Amino acid sequence: MSTRNRELVFLLPALILTTLGFALVYTQKSSTLSWSSLTYGALFLALFAIAHIGRRVLAPHADPYVLPVTALLSTLGLLVLYRLNEDLALKQAMWLVVGLVAFLLVLVFVRDLKVLRDHRFLIGIAGLLLLLFTAIFGREINGARLWVALGPVRFQPAEFGKILLVVFFAAYLVDIREALTVSTRRLLGVPLPPLRYLAPLLTIWALSMALMIFMKDLGTSLLFFGALLSLLYVATGRFFYVLVGLVLFLAGGALLYFVFPHVQTRIDIWLDPWTDPTNKGYQIVQSLFALAAGGLFGRGLGQGYLILQSGNTIIPALETDFIFSAIGEELGLVGAVGIILLYLIFTYRGFRVAMRARDDFSRLLATGLTSIFALQAFLIMGGVIKLIPLTGITLPFVSYGGSSIVANFVLLALLLRTSDKVSRQEAADREYGAGMGQR
Amino acid sequence: MNRPLRRLFLFFTLLFIALLVQLTYVQVWAAPKLKVNAANTRAIEEEMKVERGAIVSADGVELAVNRKDGQYFLREYPQGGLTSPWLGYNSLRYGRAGVERVYNEELSGQAGILGITNYWDQILGKPHRGADLKLTVNMAVQRAASEALGDRKGAVVALDPRTGAVLAMVSYPRYDPNEIDALWKDINSGPDKPLLNRAIQGLYPPGSVFKIIVAGAALQTGVVTPQTRFNDTGTVTAGGFVVRNYGGNVYGEHGFTEAFARSVNTTFAKVGVEMGADTLASFAADFGFGKAPPWPLGGAKSFFPEAGGMDKAYVAQASFGQGEVLSTPLQMALAAEAVANGGKIMKPYLVSQVLDYHQNMLRETKPQVWLQPLSGQTAASMRDLMIQVVKNGTGTAAAIQGVQVAGKTGTAEVANGEPHAWFAAFAPADNPQVVVAVLVENAGTGGSVAAPIARQVIAAALGL
Repeated sequence: MSTRNRELVFLLPALILTTLGFALVYTQKSSTLSWSSLTYGALFLALFAIAHIGRRVLAPHADPYVLPVTALLSTLGLLVLYRLNEDLALKQAMWLVVGLVAFLLVLVFVRDLKVLRDHRFLIGIAGLLLLLFTAIFGREINGARLWVALGPVRFQPAEFGKILLVVFFAAYLVDIREALTVSTRRLLGVPLPPLRYLAPLLTIWALSMALMIFMKDLGTSLLFFGALLSLLYVATGRFFYVLVGLVLFLAGGALLYFVFPHVQTRIDIWLDPWTDPTNKGYQIVQSLFALAAGGLFGRGLGQGYLILQSGNTIIPALETDFIFSAIGEELGLVGAVGIILLYLIFTYRGFRVAMRARDDFSRLLATGLTSIFALQAFLIMGGVIKLIPLTGITLPFVSYGGSSIVANFVLLALLLRTSDKVSRQEAADREYGAGMGQR
Repeated sequence: MNRPLRRLFLFFTLLFIALLVQLTYVQVWAAPKLKVNAANTRAIEEEMKVERGAIVSADGVELAVNRKDGQYFLREYPQGGLTSPWLGYNSLRYGRAGVERVYNEELSGQAGILGITNYWDQILGKPHRGADLKLTVNMAVQRAASEALGDRKGAVVALDPRTGAVLAMVSYPRYDPNEIDALWKDINSGPDKPLLNRAIQGLYPPGSVFKIIVAGAALQTGVVTPQTRFNDTGTVTAGGFVVRNYGGNVYGEHGFTEAFARSVNTTFAKVGVEMGADTLASFAADFGFGKAPPWPLGGAKSFFPEAGGMDKAYVAQASFGQGEVLSTPLQMALAAEAVANGGKIMKPYLVSQVLDYHQNMLRETKPQVWLQPLSGQTAASMRDLMIQVVKNGTGTAAAIQGVQVAGKTGTAEVANGEPHAWFAAFAPADNPQVVVAVLVENAGTGGSVAAPIARQVIAAALGL
């Protein structure tokens, strides 16, 4: 089967799952089946048919597994949202459409990765500005300054800023890779790069610290730093940089822990939410209760205890940060593991693109995009199941949130563009190699 | 350059494996403990998914119903505070009381065959329905009793003397079970104690109503006959304690019937002392003192002192229901019931039928004899004495035209404040269909305060 048709085939189970899921939730809610569940199925079909065709035309050689995985994740998210709050599901469906448009636009306008490389500094500054903009004009909601009001639409610039910065670093690291690895000066037997090359890296460290201080956004700062370290490690192959980075981050984190109470609270709640289960620890404790109620096979879609009598969700931010807990309760360990495996497949395909890459920029871009995506999924899932301290970030493609959805579609488009390029290069190499053999 | 990539992917894989391990720990390993954690409200939520059985009165009035809200059922009590003393409440926060507590297994469908259907409902994901209850309470009588008592602290109990079925049970102050969650703090901290069902949990000195038991004992043991003559000089001294009549009355020469009808304390002190502590204590026990009411709703044990610890002064006071004697209103109703029912006391009951949701009967309460303190002959003599109380004694306020009412007043003196007003009665005297006990706290004499209440309850019970 050709690569392109494989994607089409893998989209089919996602379609069936969606239609069945919506029908199930709908019958749970009103005991009769209506057309609205099928409408969602049709919407899904149209959406990802367009995505598939767009990808086929605009990036014909791209990886065929990533889009179906995305489709499954986003429809599962839509399904759970539909069960929690029909209005939000409708908005999310709208955001999926917007995200799809962004996806196609990126594929159309970024026909060659060279565009990104050439404009790396512009992109870097844009990313920085987006963050600065949030830090200055942002509104504080739920203790973190992430939101910027743009007329009636609120959005989170950081979601886009982090992608732009990853693109910038991938490109910039290509520039300075040589300098980082081949160096004349050495410190403790480790080559020390010229300071002017190190400056941007230190800037990133300072930036992620600033993010924590001014925006109180632990999640995003962790994401930045994690992605940067991943890139640095892949670019240089030296674990030393990772070590230095970790030490720097931990030192900064420790400092913040003692200076800023909100950081301290997060850590304390993670260490022991049970001393105050009805107040400070409420969110994480309720999340654990939801997961426990779900057990192995879950309570079934629409059967969980997620909406209180007051109409509020039992866990605050259930539709966004804690949507994984809702999945854990209603679909059980089986469903939750399914979600984790979907992210793992995405991560694997992303790294495969990086490994097959013939040029540094493609390799680093694929690495950066995949790392930031995988790290985000891990941080929030790990947070809601109390594996690590909770950081308020979205579960990519699943959580409710316009900025998050659109930004992740942009990320997806960039990854597929890279994948397409890598496959073309591979094919060209093969032809060249074959030509060589004939001679 | 691929080695660091592989290592990085391995690192992310390890992170995801850590997620899988922790998730399995939470959802499978730690789940049983998390489910029973005190902060976990999900057990309550499970209960709310069960459609609790309805509770209906004997005359078909809905007492407890459910309102469906989404997938949950919310309990509602259409009769509000009128039924609160025995119906109780079903609060998700504060638990249950009354019939809602005692019959919870039936109402929530956990008992017997319902438990098995519950299992199926769970598998099929259907809402589960509990069993319905049909009570013995007649809401017409209940309402009449409640209106007759009004907003005076006290209690009214009405029983069918032939079966022991509770026709009405009123306790005031009361509370609205629909508002229990909101009211909880107030009603628990206030002095009125509305959660106390005074009819079965309130212990009061019974005063002269206790003479039903003393007279019954005296007639049964042959210490007196209805015709035995006595002479009252206003006081009698027993063991150094001076007994006086209520209001300082002096009755002069009179028979035992008149002593009962006019409630002559001096005569009863003499009769009691003559019988002795042992006889009195054993008859009190035969009537149910010292025993918990034989029904699932529970209640306080009425109290009669140990015979060995009683000197003559104590015996004399106990003979007209003072001293340390304490009784619940239900106990006094049961004493009158013994007279009405040929000497036998039936086990009281409140739930007549348990029905599944197709209205098939699962269980029916059969009337059962609990105690037999008097012989049929003594009961008949006692009935005549009690008729005289209403005909031309202290209880004339209970008289109803066309119906012969038999009763006994009580005016129990308390340490401070007005005496408690008592009245115990049954009617019609020759074919008793209802027995009533009334208690009004610190309200005055039984004849003037309690007897009129009893009259209204009897009239309602007889459909007059």
